[in-house]
Amino acid sequence: MKTKYLLLIGMALVLVLVLGGCATGLTASSWPGVTADKNNAYVADGPFVYAVNLQTGTEVWRFPAKAATSTPFYATPVLTPDGGQLIVGSFDHKLYSLNPTSGAENWRFEQARDRWIGGVLITADTIYAANADYNLYAISFTGTLKWVTPFTADQAIWGAPVTDGTNVYFGTLGRHVYAVNAQTGREVWVQTVNGAILGSPVLGPTNILYVGTYGGELVALNTGNGQILQQQTTSSWIWTGPALDGSNIYTGDANGKVYAFPMSGTGTAWTQQLNGAIFGSPLVMDTTIIVATESGNIYFIDNTGQNIKSVTLTGKIYASPAAAGTLVLVAPTGGDNTLVALDLTGAIKWSYTAK
Amino acid sequence: MWETIIVDPFTNVLLLIYKLIGGNFGIAIILFTILIRVITHPLMAAQIKSSTKMTQFQQSKQWQDIQKKYKGDKEKLAQEQMNLYKELGISPFASCLPSVIQIPLIFGLYQSIMRALAASPAQLLILSRVVYSFFPISNLVPLNSQFLWMNLGQPERVYMFGYGIPLLAIIVALTTYVQSKVTMPASTNPGDQGAMMNKMMALYMPLLLGYFALTFASGLSIYFITGNLIGIAQYALLGKVNWRAIIPGYKPETTVLARNK
Repeated sequence: MKTKYLLLIGMALVLVLVLGGCATGLTASSWPGVTADKNNAYVADGPFVYAVNLQTGTEVWRFPAKAATSTPFYATPVLTPDGGQLIVGSFDHKLYSLNPTSGAENWRFEQARDRWIGGVLITADTIYAANADYNLYAISFTGTLKWVTPFTADQAIWGAPVTDGTNVYFGTLGRHVYAVNAQTGREVWVQTVNGAILGSPVLGPTNILYVGTYGGELVALNTGNGQILQQQTTSSWIWTGPALDGSNIYTGDANGKVYAFPMSGTGTAWTQQLNGAIFGSPLVMDTTIIVATESGNIYFIDNTGQNIKSVTLTGKIYASPAAAGTLVLVAPTGGDNTLVALDLTGAIKWSYTAK
Repeated sequence: MWETIIVDPFTNVLLLIYKLIGGNFGIAIILFTILIRVITHPLMAAQIKSSTKMTQFQQSKQWQDIQKKYKGDKEKLAQEQMNLYKELGISPFASCLPSVIQIPLIFGLYQSIMRALAASPAQLLILSRVVYSFFPISNLVPLNSQFLWMNLGQPERVYMFGYGIPLLAIIVALTTYVQSKVTMPASTNPGDQGAMMNKMMALYMPLLLGYFALTFASGLSIYFITGNLIGIAQYALLGKVNWRAIIPGYKPETTVLARNK
């Protein structure tokens, strides 16, 4: 009898551990966000935000000083225009302002009710932060709330918003694109697209907003009224926002296909099949398009779609690559390094591994 | 292996139910929990039967006499216990085995609920890749995680006068307690270790599950509450619910067992 009940207690304990473990896994699983200023690269990756010296690849600081599993950071950090604050959201529902030089906390914004998945949009005087609680928050540089959208969006917002100065635009997981007044947060228009919007929209030069959808479409919308101007179909899910140069819009899909769509006209300028699914946004640097794939490859593609070079890192790459001067910063997941800096020839300049 | 055999099929069935009922994930969790309980009902029935037999054994005059007789000789007591088990046709682990089989199902159910809710890009990616190809996943995702006043992907609170009251956690703790009490086999034997353990479980399990409900996604609480209510219903169906057990001071009667001849 005793053995039987000990067995039952043991099973209950296993249940506790497994359920606890599963739940922890749920709250601490995503991929890193990377940004940089002229001195440091900043990586939000799990329990810490790291600042890494761009010249040496050594750690400058980490925030918080001690790891807390309840505060995972995966949203891309963003700097204020004066470079004085680094704004980064956490899965703990808090948005932090850090000193980019020291990593000290300036303030934290605690009024959101869900995770901060994407980065924020920062203008000259306002931080526009979209949360998974279906709301867009406008926050001052001292961390006080200016306004929250006076309506609730239809679903969670995972991508950073964009603005043309008049309106702020964001997409939701509920397959809608919203335009709200930049001063009040009031809805200007809302448009339905064919799939969830997981990444950020991108503004084109001629009052056009581009969004990639989980339904496998790149959609162009009129910023004035939300009217759909063009839909380009891709072979699989698009996870993040596109990238632009003067002539093309670039996006990648989960089948590993990268597309260049001409900004004027229809059709496809070129496509390339890469090795591995694409989850991060392409990065445009001069005439080179940099695309990272899940298989750990980083591709450097000429903007004509020719002359492809690739480098393979250990681990998988889900995060969007970021530019830092002439360097390309890549944060692999599950590899040997936390952050790798490459030049445009694909040569690794340094790598940083968080200890 | 675990994922392929248990979690992936569970996730897909959960999504199928979600789709069939028009996109209510709360109802999908409830229906899926009922489905799993219906499938595992024969196991549950076997467990209840064995458990009842074991409780009757613990309360029996024969066993109590043997306990008194061999009080100072543990080895002899154990030997006599096994002899009596054999004589009465009781398998000491028969009531435990069905529980062992059900544990993986509980894990699988929980993991599939959490997976389907996909609250981050990485989780959505995992979900997207485990959904069977005949499902048009991009039409399903994201799941509507709103159910009544809850976001099923978040711990639940009802805000009143500026305070967040964990209503679901309270209901989980309450239903777990009621289930434990009304389904607990009655025992009159003061030396019945099983009964003591059951009493301890009846106190700790509501606290434990209540803590889970307080901390984790409310989808899990829906599962716990549904599971508790179905558990009571299953016992009731087999005539094994003892409602008097929730009355303070309730004392069960002594049993005499028929020998297995």
